[in-house]
Amino acid sequence: MKIETQQKSDVVIVRIEGRFDAFGVPEAEQHFQAAIDQQPRHLVINLGGVNFIDSTALAALVRALKRVREHQSDLSLCNLQQAVQIIFELTRLDKAFSLYADESAALTALGVA
Amino acid sequence: MRIALVTTYPPGMGSLNEYAFHFVKHLRQKPEVEAITLLVDELPPDEQYSKRTEAGADISFDVCWRFEALNNTRRIVEAVQRIKPDVVLFNIQFASFGSRRIPAALGLTAPMRIKRATDIPTFVLLHNIMETVDLQSAGFAQNVLIRWITEFFGAIFTRQLLKADLVALTIPKYVEILQRKYKADNVLLAPHGAFDDAPPLHHTPAEHPFQVMTFGKFGTYKKVEPLIRAIEHLQQNGYPDLELVVAGSDSPNAPGYLANVQTQYAHVPHIRFTGYVPEAAIPDLFTQATVVVFPYESTTGSSGVLHQAGSYGRACVLPHIGDFKELVEEEGYKGEYFEANNHLSLAAAIEHLLSDPAHRHLLEQQNYLAANGLPMREVVDWYLLHIEQLLGSAYENRNPAKK
Repeated sequence: MKIETQQKSDVVIVRIEGRFDAFGVPEAEQHFQAAIDQQPRHLVINLGGVNFIDSTALAALVRALKRVREHQSDLSLCNLQQAVQIIFELTRLDKAFSLYADESAALTALGVA
Repeated sequence: MRIALVTTYPPGMGSLNEYAFHFVKHLRQKPEVEAITLLVDELPPDEQYSKRTEAGADISFDVCWRFEALNNTRRIVEAVQRIKPDVVLFNIQFASFGSRRIPAALGLTAPMRIKRATDIPTFVLLHNIMETVDLQSAGFAQNVLIRWITEFFGAIFTRQLLKADLVALTIPKYVEILQRKYKADNVLLAPHGAFDDAPPLHHTPAEHPFQVMTFGKFGTYKKVEPLIRAIEHLQQNGYPDLELVVAGSDSPNAPGYLANVQTQYAHVPHIRFTGYVPEAAIPDLFTQATVVVFPYESTTGSSGVLHQAGSYGRACVLPHIGDFKELVEEEGYKGEYFEANNHLSLAAAIEHLLSDPAHRHLLEQQNYLAANGLPMREVVDWYLLHIEQLLGSAYENRNPAKK
């Protein structure tokens, strides 16, 4: 799994690639926490490179959502591949997260050009 | 938020009582939760529900239904109107309210009736669905006509149940069936969750005597006769000291079953029937077992024990029946499989694990990782997230101008 973080204005973007499962969760959580520590207005997680996601990874995203909301911030997901989108729909977490088609759509919605 | 939960709960011995215990234990630790009222079933006269003493949201009990009663729905609705919670959760399966068709089915209308009588959102955690239960084994259909009628009315009452705002299921196949057959758009997959935070993994000791354990409520679709015959076979073929622990009690639908089995197989040595296992004795029960066996003819009620076995890092022997194998594979568990009701197949599967410690330890490790991947305290967060969505929608529906 490959993870990179980028800050654009007051939004932090975390991009994840590869298989997002129990083995990758600890590393992803380090990135999420580092991003949250920057106290961004918004955290965007780009899952465009994720071809598989399991329940522990979904739980990590739920934890991250709770943490950012504790900081009066919010979290969006973008660029979900079809297999990942199906998991979000099956668990109905697509209703709990703000989902965007891609990173630029997310940034536009957040007012970051 | 103030939550009402319709459920069984210890010391009540109805099915899903242990699930409720662990769910509530973690739910009350969440800062969003202000109070929980458990809408529970009546206990025998000499028993009573007791509040937990550790810190957390307030818990109270409202005893408002009885297994097999016909008026459970009315009583539950009245309790909800009295309590006025923000949301009503149900922790149920299709036979939670009775072993007979009519009380069982009538109880399933409670979410719909709450919705009609109040504007309080309802959220059902449904542990099985009619379509995947072997009705004959479960004691609900003795002949083809009655089975057909049961299925027909089962579909009607499933539709009633689906009038809840949300229905959560723990197996993907169940979600797919309800979406496909009933066109339900309010169903979701929720992880079952491990009951406790991960204890350290202790591989089973290599020395004899080996102990085989089975755990559940027996007599309907969980039958121990093939297991006892398998143990007897192994005792006569190289494992004379092999022990069997039958842990748990009769299914409410099969009173007296285990006593009959105990009498019938009194000649087989090294078998211990524990009866009901209190919560405090569960860790020893699992950690002392070399192998946990699931002598089931249907998958109903299997996932809880599988998660427990996994959380203690036990190797499991599982029946080769449809969605049970699917559940095992989808959730990352591994097992040794046997042909249901075939004691020689079961003996071979157990023997494979006893004779190959490396293979057994691999399964122990795998199941431990699978079960401890998502503890109940995290699963509860998922439910709260869905509840927040529900409450947001309910608020918007009541205040359309503020959308």
